[in-house]
Amino acid sequence: MKKSRIAAVLAGVATVALAITGCSAGGSGGSGGGGKALTIEDYYTKTYDPNYQICAKEVGVKVTINHVAGAGLIAKVLQQASSKTLPDVLMLDNPDVQQIAATGALSPLSNYGLDAGGDVKAVTAAGTYKGKLYGLAPVINSIALYYNTDLLQAAGVQPPKTWDELQAAAQKLTDPSKGQYGFAMSNINTYEGAWQFLPFFWTNGGDEKDIDSAGAAQALQFVVDLQNDGSMSKSSVSWAQADVNNQFIAGKAAMMINGPWQLPALNAAKNLKFDSVPIPVRDASQKITSPLGGEAFTVPVTGDKDKMALAGKFVGCLNKTSTQTKIAGTTGNVPSDSATADAWAKDHPQVASFVTVVKTARARTGELGADWPKAATKIYTAVQLALTGKAQPAAALKQAQAGD
Amino acid sequence: MSATRAIRVAEAGGASVAHRHHRPRWPMTILGILFLSIMIFPVYWMINTSLQAQAGAATVTWFPFQPTFAGYIGAIQDQGQNLVTSIIVALGTVVVTLVVATPAAYGLGRFKMPGMPVFLFVLLITQMIPTIVIANALYTLFNDIGLLNNYLGLILADSAAQIPFAVLLIRAFITSIPQSLVEAALVDGANNLRAFISIVVPISRNAIITAALFTFLGAWGDFLFALTLTSKPDVRPVTLGIYNYLSSNVQNWGPVMATAVLASLPAAVLLILAQRYIAAGAIGGAIK
Amino acid sequence: MTTATLPAARLRGGTGSRRPGRGRIRFVRGLARWLFVVPAVVFVAVFFGYPLVKNVTMSLQHYTTTTFYTGEAPWVGFANYASIFASSLFSTTIINTGLFTIGSIVLQFIIGLLLALFFKRHFPLSGFLRSLLLLPWLLPIIASSAVWKWILDQDSGALNQFLGLFGVPPTPWLVSPSLALVAVIGVNIWLGIPFNTTILYSGLQAVPEELYEAASLDGATGWRAFWYITWPSIRSVVSVVVVLGVVYTLKVLDLILGLTGGGPANSTQTLATWTYQKSFVLFDFGQGAAVSNVLIAVSLVFAVVYLYLNRREVDE
Repeated sequence: MKKSRIAAVLAGVATVALAITGCSAGGSGGSGGGGKALTIEDYYTKTYDPNYQICAKEVGVKVTINHVAGAGLIAKVLQQASSKTLPDVLMLDNPDVQQIAATGALSPLSNYGLDAGGDVKAVTAAGTYKGKLYGLAPVINSIALYYNTDLLQAAGVQPPKTWDELQAAAQKLTDPSKGQYGFAMSNINTYEGAWQFLPFFWTNGGDEKDIDSAGAAQALQFVVDLQNDGSMSKSSVSWAQADVNNQFIAGKAAMMINGPWQLPALNAAKNLKFDSVPIPVRDASQKITSPLGGEAFTVPVTGDKDKMALAGKFVGCLNKTSTQTKIAGTTGNVPSDSATADAWAKDHPQVASFVTVVKTARARTGELGADWPKAATKIYTAVQLALTGKAQPAAALKQAQAGD
Repeated sequence: MSATRAIRVAEAGGASVAHRHHRPRWPMTILGILFLSIMIFPVYWMINTSLQAQAGAATVTWFPFQPTFAGYIGAIQDQGQNLVTSIIVALGTVVVTLVVATPAAYGLGRFKMPGMPVFLFVLLITQMIPTIVIANALYTLFNDIGLLNNYLGLILADSAAQIPFAVLLIRAFITSIPQSLVEAALVDGANNLRAFISIVVPISRNAIITAALFTFLGAWGDFLFALTLTSKPDVRPVTLGIYNYLSSNVQNWGPVMATAVLASLPAAVLLILAQRYIAAGAIGGAIK
Repeated sequence: MTTATLPAARLRGGTGSRRPGRGRIRFVRGLARWLFVVPAVVFVAVFFGYPLVKNVTMSLQHYTTTTFYTGEAPWVGFANYASIFASSLFSTTIINTGLFTIGSIVLQFIIGLLLALFFKRHFPLSGFLRSLLLLPWLLPIIASSAVWKWILDQDSGALNQFLGLFGVPPTPWLVSPSLALVAVIGVNIWLGIPFNTTILYSGLQAVPEELYEAASLDGATGWRAFWYITWPSIRSVVSVVVVLGVVYTLKVLDLILGLTGGGPANSTQTLATWTYQKSFVLFDFGQGAAVSNVLIAVSLVFAVVYLYLNRREVDE
């Protein structure tokens, strides 16, 4: 009878379910045997694992690697902080380091004899909280202006160096009949949108302490003009950097602002010839100030002094210049150490503009520290208000700065 | 009168008492197909994308001119384990929910006990609480008990989320069962439990199956509990798997959409199988 | 004779039903009845009561990232509520939430009812089509919101390409602040139609055929039959669909996050997304909890008002 058969199936399932729950899923990845085991937590994919294995061998530990989805990492870290189950080595996106350090959950890296060494200045600024270094980033990145060499050549346009040149080039490269825009960037209502606006904002004198300034308004007006000229799609307010990259690869945008982590995808695209230059500045006398990207490794306070010491050694190993180059090779990013980066640029011309730009890059948390998220929200809100036409740039910045 | 009618309709499988001559109404079929095509166009798009190689957002074509199963192969390799996890968690949730909700529905529908109307209203209130609030509170609780990152924890959390609706649904049906049937059993010497198992449950079969279906779908589609209560890939439902896929900067949507299609299959199969129970006026006759 | 024996019978312990054994059976029966309900009560108390209490407590504290590590959360009374009520976003989110909910429920319900009436008449393939209708419900919301984001893309989305065939210029569905809310409501309606149709269809099935036959004999068919027979018969089903619909729609979070993230420029920011924004983007959990309590209060007020107004009709 139908009923008894269903009952039997359910009973069988229940038994299986209970049997499985009896042996709850414990930690995996790290085999037993001699030597300590360290847990690492990050938001990378499996492709990053070999880098950890290099240092695992060197320090003499087994590693259990836990990859968490990017957007959920901080929430996970907070939960782990409250349940005192933080990993031994924790990767954090560099603007988050100060905020987590402020909670007291991280240990100063000086305890393990680590310092920033020859890294670019911004790395120290990002990883330092109240004068102590908490996070070190082995590889870093920033954003630059990619351009489709074929399209630019066909239109007889040179890669722009100033805002005026960029505006003109974008207009020339826009071809509605082909569905091609001259320029694309991400203006989405997340921290990614704020991040992409920062080069224009900072280079023209904008300050995150108070975004309502003349320089900021000018920068915002420039981006709005690019859209209103028709050179940039109105959809940019809903594009993340990955979407911008897709548009560029599909030939729907002749120029785009993006980072070196897109290089694997760009290189894989068929028939795409591209190159990159630093993002244009308004006036030739200005120097480009781009935001510092990249993830830092930290040593949370777990209470186990021995493990923390090993974790410190591990983080130190990851930040050795030799490891930096290995990691840069697999991720497409730039070694943090200036000298290493220069040498790297010679062999990897595709990242040359990024190497130039990170030298003068600025850490997002350099001024505001743990209060950066609020400022970032204000920035992307202002950008969206202006781009959607809800407010003029100056008014948009004022409204965003005042609101919450 | 209406109660017995409801039961009879329920057991008849919902087919209307057909005395009319059947003129095949093809215009209605065409209208129906048209509307359905609009409704399920996104599903078509999902399948379409899953069959294309190197499908970026701007490069997907209207029809998979060169269909490939590479996306599905990738999906099964990467997410196969997650699909099994989802099935286990969803089925476990159905079992726990039915075991807890059916007696409660009976008790609330049949017995006049103090505080019961209040409890019913409380059940309604539970539906108002945003899931994210519950998920975060459960984290600390589960962490102390050690129910994080395992099947039982997810099953309990999902069950709790589904129990109120199941209780309300089954209870509504049970109130329409004539008192006389149960009284007869009790007079014969059976206690409440026997009466419940041997009489009430079989009669409420349709409502229970409908509740089981809603519960399965609810647990299958859960995302927030999976996100909050697990942090390792060992026990990771497929909804979280898709989320991770999307987050890792995927340029190729083929495997992502293939996973989504695969994630929809078990639920689709179950719905088709149990369709006649839902159509059997179980809910309608119940909520009178 | 009888009067003499009666008092004796009463002295012997009454009519026999007062023997001590019977009392114990009654007690056990009463206990057994409670046992039916106890597991559900426990579940609800632990999994809903505890989070609710914790949420209310959190809304009265200054709860930030530091609290997670140190466990310290200083009491700030109603300061969190004060700041969210004073926020410029408060009126925006309330209005958006209202529009989103009303727009979704009204259209979901009407379309669901029309479809249920449509499918009530049996035609070729009606059963199959009815099963297909459930598909939108089955897809993981993460996947369907991603697909809809593509479909609604201004430049290359399927919808604009389709509308372009009729000469409609590319519409900025998810990009224009005025249209984004409309688009999000549209997708939510798409998502909600299966639920409404299924339940309303079941309700329609339970209306006895004899009523219709009797009415048609009196000349009441079509619209009049609907108004005088169908509608009153399905009143209670409609109540369930509407109340649950509103309660669930107020909570909708992952759909909006997947489509617009609350933007552009906060045009699709609802109470639910604002809670998420406050808690997990700005990490001010105290304020996030306050917003979610406002959400629950709105839900509660609606349910109470609606059930009170419909008290007469609902046979509960």
